[in-house]
Amino acid sequence: MSEIKEMVVEVVEKIFKDKVEKETVDLLEENKWAEDIWQLLLENELHHVAVSEEDGGAGGDIEDLLALYELVGKYAAPVPYVEHTLANFLLQQVELKGYEQLTTYSITTPLQLKGDALFGTLKHVGWAQYAKKLVTMAQEGSQQFIVVADLQDAQLKNSTNLAAEPRSEVVFENLKALQKVPVSEKQYDVFKKFVTAASVSKMGGALTTAFQLSVQFSKEREQFGRPIHRFQLVQQHLASMAGEQTLMTVAVNNIRTLLAAGREEREVAYARLRMDDASRTVATSAHQVHAAIGVTHEHRLHQYTRRLWAWRDEEFTARYWKKQLAQQLLETKIDLWESITDQAETHVHA
Amino acid sequence: MNLPNVQFTEEQKQFRQEVRSFLKQHIEKGTFETRCDSWLSGSDPSFSKLVAEQGWIGMTWPKQYGGSERSTIDRYILTEEFLAYGAPVAAHWFADRQTGPLLLRFGTDYQKEFFLPKIVKGECFFAIGLSEPNSGSDLASVATRAEKVEGGWIVNGAKTWSSNAHDAHYMVTLIRTEPLGEKKHEGLSQFIIDLKGEGVTIAPIRYLTGEPHFNDVYLDNVFVPDEMVVGTLGNGWKQGLAELAFERSGPERILSTFPLLNEVIEQLKIKRDLAGLEEATKLVAELWSLRNLSIGVAKVLEEGGEVAVPAALVKSIGTKFEQKIPEIIRLLLDVYPNLQSDNRVERYLAESILHAPGFTIRGGTSEVLYGILAKGVIAQ
Ligand SMILES: Cc1cc2nc3c(=O)[nH]c(=O)nc-3n(C[C@H](O)[C@H](O)[C@H](O)COP(=O)(O)OP(=O)(O)OC[C@H]3O[C@@H](n4cnc5c(N)ncnc54)[C@H](O)[C@@H]3O)c2cc1C
Repeated sequence: MSEIKEMVVEVVEKIFKDKVEKETVDLLEENKWAEDIWQLLLENELHHVAVSEEDGGAGGDIEDLLALYELVGKYAAPVPYVEHTLANFLLQQVELKGYEQLTTYSITTPLQLKGDALFGTLKHVGWAQYAKKLVTMAQEGSQQFIVVADLQDAQLKNSTNLAAEPRSEVVFENLKALQKVPVSEKQYDVFKKFVTAASVSKMGGALTTAFQLSVQFSKEREQFGRPIHRFQLVQQHLASMAGEQTLMTVAVNNIRTLLAAGREEREVAYARLRMDDASRTVATSAHQVHAAIGVTHEHRLHQYTRRLWAWRDEEFTARYWKKQLAQQLLETKIDLWESITDQAETHVHA
Repeated sequence: MNLPNVQFTEEQKQFRQEVRSFLKQHIEKGTFETRCDSWLSGSDPSFSKLVAEQGWIGMTWPKQYGGSERSTIDRYILTEEFLAYGAPVAAHWFADRQTGPLLLRFGTDYQKEFFLPKIVKGECFFAIGLSEPNSGSDLASVATRAEKVEGGWIVNGAKTWSSNAHDAHYMVTLIRTEPLGEKKHEGLSQFIIDLKGEGVTIAPIRYLTGEPHFNDVYLDNVFVPDEMVVGTLGNGWKQGLAELAFERSGPERILSTFPLLNEVIEQLKIKRDLAGLEEATKLVAELWSLRNLSIGVAKVLEEGGEVAVPAALVKSIGTKFEQKIPEIIRLLLDVYPNLQSDNRVERYLAESILHAPGFTIRGGTSEVLYGILAKGVIAQ
């Protein structure tokens, strides 16, 4: 664990706590985002977390970044923090310099590369309508590359996800790649895991808040002359939410440590799969406990549940990882129990 | 609990066909676009007018009020078709489902003659005013009160979550007509309130999608004439319970997300995705068994039987099923839920996910229904 982690987490949490109001998040629905909060993060150099010191960064590693992504989820922060920092972190993995200008990434579907020209369509690219640069994957023959493209020259069809966060379809029609670096299959696998761990972290944060809001509400709301947490069926919701939330917090911490140490084998996939169930249980129970007030736009709950619903269908989904895991089981002779327990000997970052 | 087994007759099958071709024709013409949860979120008064022209509002009611005295099963078929094709029926929904039957059972001749023909013509829509900010599950604690004056009552208070009140002309409202005493269920009455009247303010509440489907209704010194009291003064609780049976057992507690299931099965068939179809079939089997239950309740209702307990059962299992559909389907296809998408599966999935939390809340939460069920089972 890096030393700066605690400090950075504290600073970011303070910024989000002070600045991210319910109304700030609502503004996304009107196509506005919290540019002032973004400026504040930039001023505090928080976009340089996990950028090496030679490159003018503050140091730190993927573990620190993921801890911050959890805060993005916990506060539903309407800023492209994950997109920008993760895009630059990916570039750093292939020894490219990051960008100061707002940058995003999309690595689920490789583009086609012909010489230096990019072709193809990327769907649901986060914050592309505001970003200047895009980090993505491209393929020429059997070789994969990580490439950087200028978004200003691409064709964008802007839309949003279920939580009204900006998402765009980006079409590349003979666009020049600004940079390209070949990437091995193994490296690409690691990238997929970083990206997935980022969404699991965000979801973990959102899940925690949805749970906390429910606990608080169950103490305040009375029916039949007593607070509703006194009804056994409400207690059942609280208990199952508490279980899921704890389970996922531990899982998220676990994959962070494994990823930072380069020891992750299948754990990100497990966490991603399990997160699907956890987010379903928590979103369902949180809404049920809040009943009608919770399905109003006025209440904060939906800012977290809509994010859970949206994020679980983005990038590398549970469905994707389920197929990967099944494929692995089919192809290798590994014993299931060994694969669960025997993690120390495999190093994926090699 | 035992419910009758209902088999459809040839005439009924023909009627279903008739409704279906009406709906298909209007989808083709672009009169409406299929959507999930259309009975709550698809309000279109001009479409309601078209439905009325077919004689399909109040179709089970006596001819003297404009009805066509058709069976409850015919109405059931009609409702199923509306939901399966996601037609925008929300505007007339509550009047057809709840207010009409309530007035036929408890209303005065004047009320029947005044309201029913208008409802049948698609010119008069109702909202349901039960809930209040502090009376959710504990409905008997409603605080909206009325004081007797010459020729009527003066009402003060506030109702909330009133679906579609913004499009409705009137609201059947549960009101305290005697001071709250030891027995909370007594001294409640049902009034019909003119939503365009003086002292009534309707403020839309936005659903989590940002769209307005339900409302706050503020009642500030609203005068309600004596002839707008429904049934017996002080009998509001019992009358309300009878109304809830109609509310809880219909196909709308099973089919809110059906357009999604239907579309996905089409897609899986095109893809020849056997594994996906196997999963989807489980949902179809569940749907089949739930329908049997719900149609059985409809039959008992038609015969005037007691259905409070089985209706609670239909609602609690049915809404859970409606909620489960999007959760299972998103794991069968690579789809991205998006309200703005041109792709039907993506759009229906987004609608289903975002509307699903309401299914197990509106009309009584599952938890409260479990209470009713447990009591009913113990009493047997
Ligand atoms: C989409 C939608 C449309 C609606 N339309 C209408 C309408 O048209 N007209 C109208 O009058 N109302 C309408 N409602 C209101 C609905 O009937 C109420 O929301 C519902 O009865 C629950 O009340 P509440 O929201 O106050 O929750 P609360 O009663 O505060 O319940 C909060 C939580 O506590 C639980 N709980 C409460 N009491 C108990 C108990 N005794 N045992 C166990 N658990 C308990 C509940 O199940 C819930 O999980 C609508 C609601 C929704 C979501």
